[in-house]
Amino acid sequence: MRYYWLGSLLASLTSACSTASPERVQETTPIHIRWANDPVALDPLAIPNQNASDAASLLHLGLLQVDYQANVYAPALAERLPGVQLIGDSLMRLDYQLRPAATWDDGRPVLATDVDFTLKLIQCPGLPYEVARTQFSFIRQLLPDPTNPRHFTLVCRGQGRELINTSGDFPILPENALDAQHTLRPLPLAMLQGWHPDKAPPAVVAALVSRYKQANSARYPSHLPGCGPYRLAEWVHNRHLLFQRKAHWWADDLRPAPFVLQARAQLLDYIIMPDDAAAVLALRRRELDVFPRMPASLFQRLQTSAAARKELAFYTNPSYDLISVGFNTRRALLNNKLTRQALGRLLDPAGLLTATQLGQGSLTVGLVPPDSQFYNDSLPALAYDPTQTLALLHQAGWQKQSNGSWYHSIIAQPLALTLRYRSDESAFATIALQFQAAAAKLGIPVKVLPLEASALTVALKAGDFDMYIRTIKGTPFGFNFSPLLHTNAIGMDNFTGFGRPATDQLLEDISIEGNLPRKRRLLRHFQVLIREEMPLVPLFYLANRLSASRQLRPIIASGLKPGYASGALSWASGSANVAIP
Amino acid sequence: MKLARRTPYHANYWLATSWLVLLLVVGLLAPWLLLPYPAATPDLLHMATPPSPLHYLGTDPLGRDVLAGLVAGAQRLVLLSLPAVGLATLVGAIAGSAAGFWGNKQLRLPLASAGWLLAAGWWLATLPARAAVVSILLVISILFSWLSSRQAVGSSRRTFPLPLDSLVLGATALLGAVPRLILLVALAAGPPLSFVQLLSLLALVAWPETARLVRAQMLRVRVQPFMEAARASGLPAWHIWLHHALPHACLPLFSFAPLTLAGLVGLENTLAFLGIGQAPDQVSWGSMLTTVRQDPNAWWVVAAPGLALLCTLLALQHLAQALNKRFNAG
Amino acid sequence: MGRWLLARLGRAALAAWGIASLVFLVSRLLPAGPEQLVLGEAGELAYPTTAAQRLASNQAIRQRLGLAEPVFYATRSPGPAGHWHWHGCHNQYHQWVSQLLRGNLGQSYASGQPVATLLGQALACSVPLAGSAAVLATALAVGLALYVARAPQGRLRALVQGSLAFLQVMPLFLLALALLLLLANPDVVNILPASRQGESASGLASLVYWAARATLPILSLVLSALPALTLPLAASLRHELGTAYATTARAKGLPIGRVLRQHLLPNALLPLFTTLTELLPTLVAGTVVVEVVFALPGSGRLLAEAAATHDYPVVVAGVLLIAGVRLLGLVLADILYFLVDPRLSPSA
Repeated sequence: MRYYWLGSLLASLTSACSTASPERVQETTPIHIRWANDPVALDPLAIPNQNASDAASLLHLGLLQVDYQANVYAPALAERLPGVQLIGDSLMRLDYQLRPAATWDDGRPVLATDVDFTLKLIQCPGLPYEVARTQFSFIRQLLPDPTNPRHFTLVCRGQGRELINTSGDFPILPENALDAQHTLRPLPLAMLQGWHPDKAPPAVVAALVSRYKQANSARYPSHLPGCGPYRLAEWVHNRHLLFQRKAHWWADDLRPAPFVLQARAQLLDYIIMPDDAAAVLALRRRELDVFPRMPASLFQRLQTSAAARKELAFYTNPSYDLISVGFNTRRALLNNKLTRQALGRLLDPAGLLTATQLGQGSLTVGLVPPDSQFYNDSLPALAYDPTQTLALLHQAGWQKQSNGSWYHSIIAQPLALTLRYRSDESAFATIALQFQAAAAKLGIPVKVLPLEASALTVALKAGDFDMYIRTIKGTPFGFNFSPLLHTNAIGMDNFTGFGRPATDQLLEDISIEGNLPRKRRLLRHFQVLIREEMPLVPLFYLANRLSASRQLRPIIASGLKPGYASGALSWASGSANVAIP
Repeated sequence: MKLARRTPYHANYWLATSWLVLLLVVGLLAPWLLLPYPAATPDLLHMATPPSPLHYLGTDPLGRDVLAGLVAGAQRLVLLSLPAVGLATLVGAIAGSAAGFWGNKQLRLPLASAGWLLAAGWWLATLPARAAVVSILLVISILFSWLSSRQAVGSSRRTFPLPLDSLVLGATALLGAVPRLILLVALAAGPPLSFVQLLSLLALVAWPETARLVRAQMLRVRVQPFMEAARASGLPAWHIWLHHALPHACLPLFSFAPLTLAGLVGLENTLAFLGIGQAPDQVSWGSMLTTVRQDPNAWWVVAAPGLALLCTLLALQHLAQALNKRFNAG
Repeated sequence: MGRWLLARLGRAALAAWGIASLVFLVSRLLPAGPEQLVLGEAGELAYPTTAAQRLASNQAIRQRLGLAEPVFYATRSPGPAGHWHWHGCHNQYHQWVSQLLRGNLGQSYASGQPVATLLGQALACSVPLAGSAAVLATALAVGLALYVARAPQGRLRALVQGSLAFLQVMPLFLLALALLLLLANPDVVNILPASRQGESASGLASLVYWAARATLPILSLVLSALPALTLPLAASLRHELGTAYATTARAKGLPIGRVLRQHLLPNALLPLFTTLTELLPTLVAGTVVVEVVFALPGSGRLLAEAAATHDYPVVVAGVLLIAGVRLLGLVLADILYFLVDPRLSPSA
């Protein structure tokens, strides 16, 4: 009986809401963007995840920023890309010029001293910048130009395209706001870099560190003024982050306005919704306007709904994220490349692409995207082929026992595998189940062990796995596979433990080769070599799917994270007074 | 009340029993059932398809056959939840009845046994200098028991009371300090648990309720006249406990065990639904239900496992009610 | 009374501390190193460095998080023939307890924020949710029990009792899932308001918005808690109706409704207090499920996520908090018992 009351209450509530006046968007209506999780900490120099990185790029600017239209690094605070001067075969000098218009919010210009200060701050012992410290330790010195405070040279250890991009890819922080007395200026950068962790830091550094920690800029980003276009207006943990456009931003006056220095939306509201389905419902309810990286099945279901098509626009771009299955080559079981080749043929990349991505994305033969000029198109695609698996297993010396299992007389072990992957990816679960079932048909037991992301990294680094499934995040900014497959990277990102002198040499050659035809030859050879050795099986490149409200201007979508150019988001000009039924 | 005993079981009871028997049979025979698809194998060409002649109950968003998942869930129930309830009931009955029977002061152990226990503990924990310490302890306790046995029979032997009641109550209070679901979430998170680990964890959170119930019943049984008679006849205490007190104290368990099972089935499926400590090849009803969150329109993923879960829980409830009427009405 | 209450409080506090210690120790003995959490995804975004550098930065993080120390007062070195080591007060457990006594719950590994802040933010969402569910459920339970006790045998009463029995066995996650899929789905029925007006509006409008968002979660909690509250109350009301004083009251000509409300209800409420103390943990466990299903940023989801990410300071603090709340509920029920019926001297 009470339910009648409850029911009628709900009904009246519904009717009240549905008869509310049709909403209008104005320029000041926030654009709601979906995030799967909270960025947790917004310290621009200690970025824990992709969301924090997106947020940092709204608040701060680096010398170079990614241009999502062309997918290249473009000058931001720098006036142009750095001039490169190679010294010997292991050093280079990068010549930077800052934009004259660039200023902090208080009107002071952005100068070389700010860059110098930021580099030193990263290296200050006692600050939680362990990752950045190692990442930027290749920058050994900043040489200021005494005649021009906006002109400086970075002395770098190492050469290569990636290093040039990285040299401009950190946020510049204001020296005046953090260190008004310029106490860091007399300390050389190299001295801070080489500081022994057990030695007490210099007094000025200790004072700065304690001041800096006091500000707790990871939680209160407003304590760390940046020269980016937005400021953080509100942050309700695990709920939303609201960014407000600065009324007067220095880049507003630039003519012509470079793409990386555009910021059209007045308010950007990042809504945190971990659940994909809940987020899709919110998109339908117009609580969200932009939903990047949408799972394929939800994306397709939305696309087939006429009501959703009326309200939403859909974008698909090839991304640089590659799903791959890797082998732990240190294990005796998987030491032989024939065994790895045999197991690789139990995976069904084409079927999995159809099943998990509904066919969106692209199969690949190697670690290079198929649309790249370096792609080796003469290699045949890998396919599900159990008969070949049997042949290869026999060739590798495995004997089928009477009880159905496989035994190797030299290794003296039965063939049984553990497969690890991230538990929050449903596509990985499907891949794992497919492989498990295919292996079970041949009598190979496979144990699937999904793990939470951080625990997975620990397990992979410790070598506690036989096979893994993971996404390799690539960039179009060059091909450096050393971190994945070089002997030196074993114990870090080279989880497979793979390393041969020939491939090591090849990887080093690829990373420094500047001549295009030669680079093409090397990369094609590399793809053949990886197919032969098969330390990992590249399955397919993902597509980046994005859905956004039609009330927005067409999104500039990109295959690069976060998948869209946030600076170009804005309401369509005509819709200011258009009522949405 | 005697009338109630003679009343025939309700139709509901037979319905409930037949559903549970069906589950039991399906669960036990699952490996030999001729299903068109295995439970944990995705059908890559049919992801999240509605029921069709190909997949009678459809497939979930991971491509697993729902019918096969139903059977696997029944199997999991029979092989995981049922033994867990058995274990919990056993542990709970023994601990609760012993605590109620002996209380804090009645169970007196000879002092020498303390030496034995200490020595065993020292050895098992491999504490420092274990060979030396353990041999000294053993020598002392052997000497001590020899000495005490030489003393006149009938004079008070040196004993100490084992505070059994406090120990059991303390353990139940400890495990009852937070809700069972919270305790499971806190302990079971992280890497997927093995079958035995999950089973023992479920038994761990389930036994205190049984123990409390049996203890309360035992306190009532203890003061019955027939217990006085048994004590007067000079039977040893453990004999009275095992043969006379325990059967009476465990009487309420007939109707309580189905409820414990229902509670554990609900808990286990909630854990699977939250995705804590589970791998996708361990298919259960809860883990099938959770996939609907990837595709809110896949009603068939919810319908069959949800219905099976509800029917099971309802059947267990009816069974408990019927058994309660039969055994505890008097 | 006072001494007894103190003893009971002490015992319950001991249990809370014990269970939190258990979770603390179990979590620290697990293999995953929390310092990896701090590196997190950054490793994938960053330019790689050498093994030695990575090792050094891991060690620095362990030092900063206080994880370089041994876990407990005495630990055993790994291996089959391990030896025991005594560490004195320089261990993680001692640090944790002493910080706890000073009111410091520690910092989250994942976010580096104080755990108290995180819990506070999450509770701001969960307390209104669980609180309104508790109030609504209790009020509904009293109403329903009064109805069931006096209603004639009939179809409606059977329906109410049947649905209560049905709800009693229905797992909360299934209930919440059904409500979400049926009532908040644009393709079926959507009772949730489609608007972006809510959160930016202030005052009454935002209250309405919040209420609309919270309707389904609260509804699931209320429905799941209702049977456990109603059924015993209805049973004891019916029992009281059969007693002599009730018969007397009715013989005097009082209408049955008034007899129930004024004479029987106060007596029948006693068992309700016990049920209410059980309601609290039920709701706490319920918030975990409901907040996960409805994607609400409350303490239940915080706990579930922290457990999945091995963010143990948050897990341990959450367990401690829940144990504390339960403790408070027990003591409150005892006091209420005593106030309502002083005959029930707690020493009995």
